[in-house]
Amino acid sequence: MSETILKARWFAPAVGFTVGGLLLALVSFDVRAAVVAARDRLKNPSAEDRPQVAVAAQAEVAYCTPRFKQVLERVLHSCGLVGGEGGRRGCQPADVKTFASISDSDFNELFTPLRSRGAVILFDEGKDQLDEQATRLLDDVWFDRKGARYFFVVARASKTGTVDLNRALSHRRANSVLFHLKEASKDPEIEKTVGLLWLGNEFAQLSKEYCSWHNSRPDSKCDEEAVNRSAFVSWVDCRL
Amino acid sequence: MGLEPRFAAMFGSPSRFPASLALVGAVLGLLFSSYSTNDYAAHLDRSLHDVHCSFIPGAPVTAEAEACRAAMYSPYSAVFRDAFWGGVPISLFALGAFSFFAAFAVYLLLARQRASKKSVIFFAIVSLSPFVVSAVMFFISVTELGSLCKTCVGTYVASLLVALGGVTGLLTLRGPSESATADPSVSARPAGHAWLALAWLVVLGAVTLLPVGVYAASVPDHRPYLTRCGELKQVDDPNAGLIHFRGTHAVRSALFFEDPLCPTCKAFHDRLKTEGVLDRLNVTLVMLPLDSACNWMLDQPLHPGACTVSKAVICGKDRARQVLEWAFENQNYLSRAGKAGEPTLRAVINQQFGPSMLSCIDSRETKVTLNRHLHFAAANSVPVSTPQVYLGTQRICDEDTDIGLRFTLKQLAPEVVP
Repeated sequence: MSETILKARWFAPAVGFTVGGLLLALVSFDVRAAVVAARDRLKNPSAEDRPQVAVAAQAEVAYCTPRFKQVLERVLHSCGLVGGEGGRRGCQPADVKTFASISDSDFNELFTPLRSRGAVILFDEGKDQLDEQATRLLDDVWFDRKGARYFFVVARASKTGTVDLNRALSHRRANSVLFHLKEASKDPEIEKTVGLLWLGNEFAQLSKEYCSWHNSRPDSKCDEEAVNRSAFVSWVDCRL
Repeated sequence: MGLEPRFAAMFGSPSRFPASLALVGAVLGLLFSSYSTNDYAAHLDRSLHDVHCSFIPGAPVTAEAEACRAAMYSPYSAVFRDAFWGGVPISLFALGAFSFFAAFAVYLLLARQRASKKSVIFFAIVSLSPFVVSAVMFFISVTELGSLCKTCVGTYVASLLVALGGVTGLLTLRGPSESATADPSVSARPAGHAWLALAWLVVLGAVTLLPVGVYAASVPDHRPYLTRCGELKQVDDPNAGLIHFRGTHAVRSALFFEDPLCPTCKAFHDRLKTEGVLDRLNVTLVMLPLDSACNWMLDQPLHPGACTVSKAVICGKDRARQVLEWAFENQNYLSRAGKAGEPTLRAVINQQFGPSMLSCIDSRETKVTLNRHLHFAAANSVPVSTPQVYLGTQRICDEDTDIGLRFTLKQLAPEVVP
């Protein structure tokens, strides 16, 4: 560049003006490009622009097999938890046999995965009162709800006595559990949460193996008769 | 009295050093403010993006940029946030201003002694403006945000260089240096016209506003997107033991799902307080700790200890808000304690609130209440991320709880915006 041009009065202002203009044009173009690109992404979002966020829901664990959920659903509908407001509460042996369409052993097998989640509340022969250990264990299980939606009470009676008497006895045992839970929890939603089944001695009797499950009388002698004088209680971590 | 020879050579007439310094500063300022602006503009698509956060201009974007993100989401990063979603980032003003300073520095660099005294004085005065703004922003960063964003610091340094260049340029008015007087080509500076300084000032104003105008003219209309994020199924559950606190001038109900150890919740809470919005809300607070110790929706804890701190908030009862704000204020410390283990965290809580708080945290009643909060979240199918915000039954989209918060509130609940 010649010395004359460099020394010309107009040269420095002209270069300054040009640089400023160019920078401003560049900056404006860059700003507009960035905003327009964002606007296009906003109008036409791609799948990867939207990370999938989990949605809060009740728990669903591995034992919630289709078969388990089928029985669960039937219990909920047939035993008054769903769509049964003001109606009958609970299911008796005949109901269970009908809706479950399942053998005794298969029925018990369904509950096997709940071994660590639930407990067996034991009663005295011919009685439906909860003793202190029973209420303590029941409370422990009830207040460890985690993400479960439903709580099941499956009451039974031993083979001693008539079918009718045992049916009534297991019904009273189920109710004892429910009444205690109502008292302990003061939960107004409890009717929509607890599913009651009483099986008397007619259906799905427990074998002696169940003595090894977590129960309210761990120090007492347990046999097949004793373990069926019981109510199995557990939260069920399944969504329907 | 002449300049000390070493400085005279550097700053005295016709040294190019001041203008060069200002030019370097202006170019750096342009780069840093350009990255800030682009980061801001990228978020106009309502998605989450990584941001630039480095002292090195052009360093790649990073997800580990909490300080820069905090600065970006703060109410100080933009103006006109009522009128535009996210507002107009202040970095846009910097873009225009630094363009002007770069151009003027080039002029001074080339004109040397031919540049008028008034032009040098004008440049010295206006070059202080980005430095003053930077000083204010630095003060806000330290006192209000508690962190310094590297890109912002880059802009502060650039502003300082421009100011130094401008002010040291004044030294060239003190007469030619000895070496310069030996050069016959060096002549005395012209005085210049006052009206020209006024014209430059007008140009500076116009140039500063141009990128703002371009941005404002291009931003998308976010109003149709504000109400697309769903509604609450269940407004309240009287049996769930949800926490309620009422602002001093509450005019609107809001429901928050929050985790006391979640940094985004803390930032959101701070934003609401800073904006004066929290005082105008009747808040229902649902604890949603992202900690698998109590939250079955997670496989592993995102915020270890959040269950315990959530219980402490529940135990706060009428003082729940104070406990929550204590947790937010001490979040880093509590998070470290939570990671160290439950005993460490309990010791911290014990130190602050005493053993009665620990008894409450350990009680069955508190455990059940927290579980009910979580079930309330499940019943409403809220996303398992915090915070989740509802105005009445209307869910506020996640992206509207940060840079778009003020605009969103102005649209959906203008009565809560002071």
